[in-house]
Amino acid sequence: MRVYILRRLLEMIPTILMITLVVFVMMRSIPGDPVVALLGDAYTEEDAERIRAAYGLDQPVLVQYVIWLGKLVRGDWGASILSGRPVLSDVLVRLPVTLELILLSMGVALVIAIPAGLIGALRQNTWADYTATSVAMIGVSIPEFFIGVLLLLVFSIGLGGILPSSGWVYLPGTCPTMVCGVSLWGNAQHVLMPAIALGVGRAAILTRLLRSSMLEVIRTEYVTTARAKGLGERPVVLKHALKNALIPTVTVMGLQVGFLIGGAIVVETLFAMPGLGTFGIDAIIARDYQQVQGFALITAFAFVAINFLVDLTYTVLDPRIRYA
Amino acid sequence: MREIRGGSVGEAEIPAVAAVWPEARPRSESPFAEGMRRFGRSTTALVGVAIVAVLLVVALLADVLAPQSPITSDQTQTFARPSWDHPLGTDQLGRDMLSRVIHGTRISLMVGVSSVVLALFVGVPLGMIAGFYGGRVDLLVMRVMDLILAFPIYLLAVILMVMFTPTAGLIGIVKVTGAIAIVRIPIYARLVRGSVLSVREKEYIEACRALGVRDGWILFRHVLPNCLAPIIVTTTLGIATSIIVEATLSFLGLGTQPPTPSWGWDLKANVAFIQDNAWLALFPGLAIFVTVLGFNLFGDGLRDALDPRLK
Repeated sequence: MRVYILRRLLEMIPTILMITLVVFVMMRSIPGDPVVALLGDAYTEEDAERIRAAYGLDQPVLVQYVIWLGKLVRGDWGASILSGRPVLSDVLVRLPVTLELILLSMGVALVIAIPAGLIGALRQNTWADYTATSVAMIGVSIPEFFIGVLLLLVFSIGLGGILPSSGWVYLPGTCPTMVCGVSLWGNAQHVLMPAIALGVGRAAILTRLLRSSMLEVIRTEYVTTARAKGLGERPVVLKHALKNALIPTVTVMGLQVGFLIGGAIVVETLFAMPGLGTFGIDAIIARDYQQVQGFALITAFAFVAINFLVDLTYTVLDPRIRYA
Repeated sequence: MREIRGGSVGEAEIPAVAAVWPEARPRSESPFAEGMRRFGRSTTALVGVAIVAVLLVVALLADVLAPQSPITSDQTQTFARPSWDHPLGTDQLGRDMLSRVIHGTRISLMVGVSSVVLALFVGVPLGMIAGFYGGRVDLLVMRVMDLILAFPIYLLAVILMVMFTPTAGLIGIVKVTGAIAIVRIPIYARLVRGSVLSVREKEYIEACRALGVRDGWILFRHVLPNCLAPIIVTTTLGIATSIIVEATLSFLGLGTQPPTPSWGWDLKANVAFIQDNAWLALFPGLAIFVTVLGFNLFGDGLRDALDPRLK
């Protein structure tokens, strides 16, 4: 097992390298560069050349990438060309916001999907099943930002503004500066709508998946055996059937993480949250090379790390799956 | 990985269908015709078809149906509430919202359908070649495909759009279409490669080879038809996904640029005013939802009908 984990950790490295390299090359193939934006009206060719040389932007792209990597292994993520701030500290400030958003939205997804999927499968072809499947169908068809807008209409405008429409209050212990708002309650108010907006679509996908895999599992012989030996319905469903039906669900959840990271860009933009999503999109649009690289790095890392965790979860759900 | 399934066609009939299909079906009916008959019995699938059909008509006849120009602004009529003259009201530039929503159908369907078709035309041959020839070709093609798949799709789509520089009009539409197609090519390549691998070793392919049939003919005449059902299903559902991606890119300001009417852009532009003008953000959002729902119902129905094995 230890060898397996080590091997998987090593296998992550080429994937992360490839993703960051492709982003690196793509960003630099966009016409124009951040130096033009930096200088603005005061642009002169000499100044631009000087600044490009200072940031190493006059080097061939691959050389620049190697330099970036070299600094990275020494813990230096570079500094933003436009603001001059170190990228790593910006990423660390914004990471908790997005992490909280993504974890909570996954929680929202599971809290909805597990009961809904179970009911759909166990009460197949009843009104409860039809309700669950119809709602799931609607859920997969609404983009995150529209759910967000609907929530805004209901909770920020309709019900007298009981939830704030934008901004952020930090969780205690995650405040990056001396001046930000910190409160558990305030944080909950700010994160609730974004987490639901992001989670509902995932919930719908997982509900559909869990329902169909439960329907399959419930017809297997070991479930019949479990019933035949006199087990109650609850342990049969929860211990024997659900655990096995969860395996494909967990796989898809891992795949959904890519969507969650993308969805975070959208939801954070809508609710004006100071997370990694808004950081990333702003950096990409401003072509702030160093910031984009930082964003690509953390995204790629999150992506491969979560897929790794998913593989580990299999062994918990199904002891027959073993990694040597 | 198995496909996600939903909809309300009873599962009860699936095992029975799977058991008789394809071997024991009556000789007179092809699996396709039988699938279409099953499709016709599903209410939800027909609702999907109806939605898609209506949207196609709206897109084709947008110029006739829209009461006004979607881009002409009337400064005396800004933020008009829904009325007889402007059934969905007007936006901050005094443009008729109904006309914008109607014309938005064009962009949404054009990008949704053409990006999937483009991905299909690149991805299917790639998958067929990789699966059929195997070896180094397979390794090379699938490495590239896996690399694209390793990206969170929005990250890739967003960077591609910044690379292409979003613009208005037809060229803007082409750019968005291209970006979404690139992200979706690997889905088809993988799907087709898998099907080809399983078909490749069948006796009838061996028979073709023994008869000296050319590879190209074998691929298109004998291999492809056997992979068609999952391709059709994935394409229909893929249109739904592409429409969401298009709307999302527009929402982020990276889709087609104004004045070209786009639902995602309109929604984004009007969110700022929802305090007093809720309907402005509501209608473009509803339009996206209904369109995506239509294609999802359609695709789900097709899956149940054409390929019971996909469940």
